[in-house]
Amino acid sequence: MNNRKPNGLVSGLIIGCVIASVFWLLRTSPHSGAAESQTNFVVPAAHPEGKVTVWSWNIAAKSLQHLAPQFERTQPAVKVDVDMTGARMQTRLMLSLAAGVGAPDVSQFELTDAPRYIATGKLTDLTSVAERYRSRFPASLWDNCTRNGRVYAIPWDIGPCGVFYKRDLFQRYGIDPAKIETWDDYIAAGKTIFQRSGGRTKMLPLGSNSLRPMFEMLIQQNGGQVFDDQGRIAINSPQARQALAVIQKMRAAGICSDIALWSQEFLAGLNDESIATYPIAVWFAGTIKDTVKDFAGKKADWGVFRLPAITPGGLHVANLGGSVLVIPAQCRNKAAAWAFVEYALCTNAGQLEQYKSMSLFPAYLPALETPVLDEPDPFFGGQKTGRLFATDVTKISRLNRTPAWGEAIRYLDQELSRWAAGGMQSDGFFENLALKMHRRLDLPIAPPAVAANLAPQSPGEPIRRRPQ
Amino acid sequence: MRPQRTPLQRTIGRTCLTIVLSLLALIFLFPFYWLFVSAFKTQAQIFTVPPDWLPHPATVRNFVDLYRETDLPRALLNSVVISGGHVLLSLFLCSLAGYAFAKFPQAPGHSKLFAFVLGTMMIPGAVTLIPTFLVMVKLHWINTYWAMIIPGAAGAFGIFWMRQYIGANVPDDLIHAARIDGCGEFGIYWRIVLPIAKPALAALGIMQLISSWNNLMWAFIVLRTRDMLTLPVVIYLLQGEMRTPYGMLMAGGLLTALPLVLAFLLFQKQFISGITAGAIKQ
Amino acid sequence: MSAPVLPRTPRQRLRSEMWRHRHFYLFISPFFLLFAVFGLYPLLFSLYLSFVKWDGMTAMQWVGWANFLSMLDDEILRRAVENTLLIGMLYVPPMLILAFLFAQALNAQWLKLRALYRAAFFLPCVTPMAVIAVVFGLIFSAEKGVLNFVLLQLNRALPFLHLQPIPWLTNESWSKVAVAILVIWRWTGYNMILMLAGLQGIPADYYEAAMVDGANGFQRMRHITLPLMRPTFRFCGLLSLLGTIYMFDEIFVLTSGGPGTSSTNVGLYLFNISFNDFRFGYASCVGYTIATFVFIGTLILQRRNRREEGSV
Repeated sequence: MNNRKPNGLVSGLIIGCVIASVFWLLRTSPHSGAAESQTNFVVPAAHPEGKVTVWSWNIAAKSLQHLAPQFERTQPAVKVDVDMTGARMQTRLMLSLAAGVGAPDVSQFELTDAPRYIATGKLTDLTSVAERYRSRFPASLWDNCTRNGRVYAIPWDIGPCGVFYKRDLFQRYGIDPAKIETWDDYIAAGKTIFQRSGGRTKMLPLGSNSLRPMFEMLIQQNGGQVFDDQGRIAINSPQARQALAVIQKMRAAGICSDIALWSQEFLAGLNDESIATYPIAVWFAGTIKDTVKDFAGKKADWGVFRLPAITPGGLHVANLGGSVLVIPAQCRNKAAAWAFVEYALCTNAGQLEQYKSMSLFPAYLPALETPVLDEPDPFFGGQKTGRLFATDVTKISRLNRTPAWGEAIRYLDQELSRWAAGGMQSDGFFENLALKMHRRLDLPIAPPAVAANLAPQSPGEPIRRRPQ
Repeated sequence: MRPQRTPLQRTIGRTCLTIVLSLLALIFLFPFYWLFVSAFKTQAQIFTVPPDWLPHPATVRNFVDLYRETDLPRALLNSVVISGGHVLLSLFLCSLAGYAFAKFPQAPGHSKLFAFVLGTMMIPGAVTLIPTFLVMVKLHWINTYWAMIIPGAAGAFGIFWMRQYIGANVPDDLIHAARIDGCGEFGIYWRIVLPIAKPALAALGIMQLISSWNNLMWAFIVLRTRDMLTLPVVIYLLQGEMRTPYGMLMAGGLLTALPLVLAFLLFQKQFISGITAGAIKQ
Repeated sequence: MSAPVLPRTPRQRLRSEMWRHRHFYLFISPFFLLFAVFGLYPLLFSLYLSFVKWDGMTAMQWVGWANFLSMLDDEILRRAVENTLLIGMLYVPPMLILAFLFAQALNAQWLKLRALYRAAFFLPCVTPMAVIAVVFGLIFSAEKGVLNFVLLQLNRALPFLHLQPIPWLTNESWSKVAVAILVIWRWTGYNMILMLAGLQGIPADYYEAAMVDGANGFQRMRHITLPLMRPTFRFCGLLSLLGTIYMFDEIFVLTSGGPGTSSTNVGLYLFNISFNDFRFGYASCVGYTIATFVFIGTLILQRRNRREEGSV
């Protein structure tokens, strides 16, 4: 078979050349994103015009739709189109950002996702027009909207946390919400309620699969972090351990109802006597008001008190949720898009209108200082819940939400579920979690001293394992 | 001798079987009936219990709304262009390669190359999805017709299918004679092979048409603006986060499914022969 | 060109052979070009991506085996694989049995209007899933769907059966059943056609000889039909297996993998990590691993089939 060898060689060479040229033609350049953001920013126009497409969802979208005519009266040449139909919005948005075509002019994100989207480099740099609003938003939110000192997203609403409670139950079992200062007080009250109700009423819903929001609230109260300033894993810290200890105490006290957030039982609990309180963010009020209509049965009498602190004199505030608005870099009409975003988020008119129409709690500090938030809420027995939630909003602790936040939180979620289901063994919990995150996310673990103090240390410190 | 069963028993048995089969056929056809009927109902009518078997009264409102609120005519155009383009390109490339593999057995490496072609059928699409998307981005083909037409145009199965048919039905003498007459290779393909291969082309064409027209995933990924969407994607996107206009959805769905149903009913034989050929090869 | 006087080397001979058949290479080149760009390059690049962390937009980060390790810990992946197996078990046996019965019926000599039945059972294959799954969504609606309405009526007529309306799409277990029903509806006709071809490939003499020997219907089925249909059954089974793993349209539109992740199969899960989370590295890793397992599994099955057939 003399002619097999040259046959193979020639065809091999040809195929090799074809493949090589194909690869060369299609070589990817991962830094094209960065190049884009260097040249993209908003050039404000005196008279912006054109159509602005906005992607948003649920109540937020309704709020913007409601706001659009009001805005258009101030900018007659701009037409706002809020698009909230269409399945799979996040998928389509990501696809459009990655492909460079098809993204809306303005889009909503959740605050926790913002760093991830900002890191893609596909969003407009808003620094030139938005920097002056920095001081008018809580630092904890603004921080998640910036990268390398430049601003890419504007905070929209905020979810300050408090405790929604059923007045009639508290009255019946002799609990005074004003006396609940710390989580220890709260747990004690929960035990009392449990005893006096004959085991029928639990203090709060805290299913083993829904521990993460509580954890997130707690570490905001004692200054804990998942990541440090440099994006290193800092979850193995005394603060995290303290937060977990609180959760452990709650569950051990038998005051937690083991149901999942947003499950049928969770919502049913709003109307029966199985659950006495809901420690959660302000936006839950909307759900309470909606759901209480749906279920038959006696309507509970509701009130709100401030989130208990971990230690006496500690922080009573935390944030869960909240969204931002961004302008994708591919937007052709940035001036008009910015005009809308600015009106909706950076003015009292815009923010308060959304507060009044859809109960979106403004992140815009000047709006929080207006008397609108002093209006009593009849649903909560005339309590000035707006003012309650707005108290100390600027003191909310800043969480370093790096681009890896979503994935890290997923691991935290899994491990917390496992912890709860497996007897709540806390020894080495955060050490293992930090190692897992380190392996999965390929991020360095911050030295323990950094995690404890949250002060930036010089880079290059070797990772020291805790002495056994 | 046949096993003993009286003619009466046989008739009863057959009648029962026919009834059962017919019932099952009706059950299988029910979703089509429901689609058709719902397209002419209002949202409220669609959701009444007990269900309205026929719309009282029937309305064409859904079609009007569909025309006004979505860009349905444009979507139809997109679907036609993309499916048509894909089918034509596919038929051309597959028949060309099929002819080559069928009628050039002396070319060096012929059988190895064909084995390679067959081998590529084993690659699952899931593995190549992301890089193909990236290629599209790089080529700036995202949101264009090319991204939908080009990939998969020269599929291995199509080549196999055409090779099979051409090899069996185009006589070598005919080709020889044409060559002697000075006809170029491409001329032979165009004037001799293609006309003979028409049935195979029809079958392959139908198969490609159906998969192209119905394509949802790739179209969803690659088509990014409203004016480029195909019909299935438009239908899918009508499902909203908060509210789904089912009437419009049914109307649009009817329009999307109808062309293929008609095509199938007209070309049943061709389609089915294509499926069975796929089985034989295994 | 004029014939050279010197004897030609094998290489020269090869080259002139190739030149003589140059149209062959020309005609098949579109396939290879397209394959190089849309088949080979993606295949290799995907393998490379399995070892990186990348969102498609920012810088790539080499992570070695980290993606593979993540897979071991991935609860949603585990659930997706479980769901795939469960859904497969739910729909493949009934579908194949039904397809076989339909094929038998359509193969019977005495059946009239064969083309009508064939069309009725095969039509589901040609319809766009985007449309049909929504129709099924309506039919499966717990409160207002036709299916539950029929169940209620049946319950009234036959109360001893205790038929309840079923939460088809809102219950974690029933959502899988709903998907299975949709898939059975869609692909039975396709398998029916394949089986019909298989049935028609059995020579009639076998049956005649059996009848002469006094075999009745069941015996004929057991000793002739079923054994000779085994290759067809295997083929259909294999197609169904592959289909279950990578099935996308049906689940995407009917349940979107829900409620939660209870009806997410591997195909949908891959789509989600690819284009929702944009974790290209991890997605490639999962895709490759699954494909490898499937490939090995198929090879093992093929080898076992060949050995079995050889011994028969």
